[in-house]
Amino acid sequence: MSLFRHRDAIAVAAFIAALGVSAGCARDAVSERAVPAVVAGTSIAAPHDGAPGEWPMSAGDYSNSRFSTLSQITAANVKNLHASWTFSTGVLRGHEGSPLVVDNTMYVVTPYPNVSYALDLAQEGQPLKWKVRPENAQAAVGLACCDVVNRGAAYYAGKIFYNLLDGHTVAIDAATGQLLWRTRMGTLARGETMTMAPIVVHGKVIVGSSGGEMGVRGWIAAIDAGSGKEVWRAYNIGPDADIKLGARFHDPYSTDRAPNQGATSWPANTWQQGGATVWGWISYDPALDLIYHGTSNPGPWNGAQRPGDNKWSAAIIARDANTGEMVWAFQPTPHDVWDYDAVNENILVDLPIKGTTRQALVHFDRNGFAYTMDRATGEVLLAKPYVPTNWSSGIDLRTGRPQLNADKVPFRGKKVSFICPSLEGGKNQQPAAFSPATGLFYVPTNNLCMDFEARDVAYIPGTPYIGGNAPEVAGPGGYRGEFMAWDATTGRKVWGIKEQYPVWGGALATRGDVVFYGTLDGWFKAADARTGAVLWKFKVGSGVVGNPMTYLGPDGKQYVAVYAGIGGDMGLLIAGDVAANLPYDVRERGSTLPDLARWTSWGGMLFVFAL
Amino acid sequence: MKPHLLLAFACCIPSSACRDSGAQEIGRAVPPRPVVAAGTGTALAAAAPNDLAGRFVSHPDHIQPGMVAVPPGLLLRNPYEGNAAAVATGAKLFVSYNCVDCHGGGGSGAMGPSLADGRWHFGGSSAEVFESIYQGRPEGMPAWGSLISPDQVWLLVSYVRSLEVNKDVTTENFTGATVERSGH
Repeated sequence: MSLFRHRDAIAVAAFIAALGVSAGCARDAVSERAVPAVVAGTSIAAPHDGAPGEWPMSAGDYSNSRFSTLSQITAANVKNLHASWTFSTGVLRGHEGSPLVVDNTMYVVTPYPNVSYALDLAQEGQPLKWKVRPENAQAAVGLACCDVVNRGAAYYAGKIFYNLLDGHTVAIDAATGQLLWRTRMGTLARGETMTMAPIVVHGKVIVGSSGGEMGVRGWIAAIDAGSGKEVWRAYNIGPDADIKLGARFHDPYSTDRAPNQGATSWPANTWQQGGATVWGWISYDPALDLIYHGTSNPGPWNGAQRPGDNKWSAAIIARDANTGEMVWAFQPTPHDVWDYDAVNENILVDLPIKGTTRQALVHFDRNGFAYTMDRATGEVLLAKPYVPTNWSSGIDLRTGRPQLNADKVPFRGKKVSFICPSLEGGKNQQPAAFSPATGLFYVPTNNLCMDFEARDVAYIPGTPYIGGNAPEVAGPGGYRGEFMAWDATTGRKVWGIKEQYPVWGGALATRGDVVFYGTLDGWFKAADARTGAVLWKFKVGSGVVGNPMTYLGPDGKQYVAVYAGIGGDMGLLIAGDVAANLPYDVRERGSTLPDLARWTSWGGMLFVFAL
Repeated sequence: MKPHLLLAFACCIPSSACRDSGAQEIGRAVPPRPVVAAGTGTALAAAAPNDLAGRFVSHPDHIQPGMVAVPPGLLLRNPYEGNAAAVATGAKLFVSYNCVDCHGGGGSGAMGPSLADGRWHFGGSSAEVFESIYQGRPEGMPAWGSLISPDQVWLLVSYVRSLEVNKDVTTENFTGATVERSGH
């Protein structure tokens, strides 16, 4: 499938070249694959404001745009990209996230045991400045639902901050590698692990936990960057005081101000094991001084055990960056029974919508719909499916709620077939990117559907609290992933590159009008940001589940870096070996990606490319 | 506490399997290693100080330094060996105690390792699987001996040991079957 797509794209490129016309004219000529003019009048809410060649936080900037202004690598010359240097992290598990680069130093954090490395980019061979291996309880390995990943670190004021799988946050002196503090944030015995990448706002390190499959009670917290002391903690479910819901709270779709809906929308005390963890990405708008985060699925998956909206699980939440106070909240999937977490990144951009520039938040939800929202109010401006979706016929913009397809709603004892998207979502942790040069979003997606059978489950602390089986198959069309460009002002796909496997790695957009992404079968690809033509690809050592980043080296050259290390929730099940913890195994086992083992094996490598 | 629990179970289990000679082994000997490690029960105190024989579960893969003879280990015997009804009950417990959501449907592996691939971190004999369930393992396997009866542990052992092991295949022949699984 993808081969055909490439051939088409190359043919289009050749056609354009032969005619000697601009891409803009050619778009009119080949309407089938027509690419509209750049979506004009868009901008990133809070572009990266440090040195342009640095990458100080996992998403590149507070807006989560994953856009770089570097432009040495262009659509015209990217074909000359070559591997420049590589580094083995020494760990063979899922390498989600990306390295950071600040002050000619690259910072790498590995999956469990969460070793961190500082590589000196100013010296030949990139020698280590330091390596830190913090104490990190081994039991965490078996309590992490979806491989032992880490989604990256944050740099702030001479310190590196990241989370340990066993529920601690650490701060390391970026110059010396000294461990400055190590603060316990989660309770491992209850199943709380930590995998997300922190951000630092006003000297506070914002972190959240994983464990939505373990019956934990999700929270987000701020730690003082200097002292390591917790400043505030807001739960996402439970009474108003606990979730920091007060006078400032605004629900764009309800005037019901009954107190404690974070508890009363659950039966009895079930909210105490209700999930709603913060394991995804956090963004920040300095002008509104709000942070934005999602919350995970409610627990257990079996919705019969928790009738109600289950606020604020599967929600997008805006909070005051200083106090954690909840300012607005919106549930893309109220009473989620499909495992549609809402933790995917919230990209903060200003977009022209119906003639007006709106302070937008764009979110590609697990539930298959792409939401363009007003980030000041939480109002949904637009919600369109971006992948094959059949559980809901659409989002009612008057209520913000999905219109359900009753045939696709799981319930205890009822086996429901072929729900799209699957529990992995139209997109999962793999973050999208945005380019103000094209006005488009670049979205790595899954095309998977599932059968779902819910069953009653007992809560036993320290064990999974799930109550459902959900075998998956390829969605309509037979391909299992697609890397696409999306216009969030109209809610439509501009182009797509179909892939054999779910695109489980993130996207990078650059001013050179080149976008980058990696695939589970181990290809690292560069595509034309305007046409989707694949311009270059390189077979890295293992499947890519990480996010590409770019930086300016001390030699003044633009580099592009990506981890190659298959794993994470999708890569965990690559055929044959992973669940047995034995990378060299040769036994077949069930998987939604049975043939993937022919293309890749475990890895733990950083690949760096340059012209 | 736990040693007595275990011994008590072994002596009074009502199943027919318990009455065969295999079941005698567990009642006869001093407690198995997980039990000894947990404290100093009376059975241990009564043993001669230098007589280690029989105190440890026998692990065939253990290396003996100097290649000396393997000290006789305690033979933990599953009272339900070959009992199909026990396998079926064990399969139900495997779901009830949430084992299924860690180790996958049919023990195919998910958060936790596969139990159906013939690869064992801590040994795949009945005694070793009993130990793994009873005392837990370092990478997050809970110590179920503190919560459920040894009888139920044996039922789980029966189920786990009944899982069919896939054969080695060439990569080209990977076909894959859809499995039950967990997500974020």
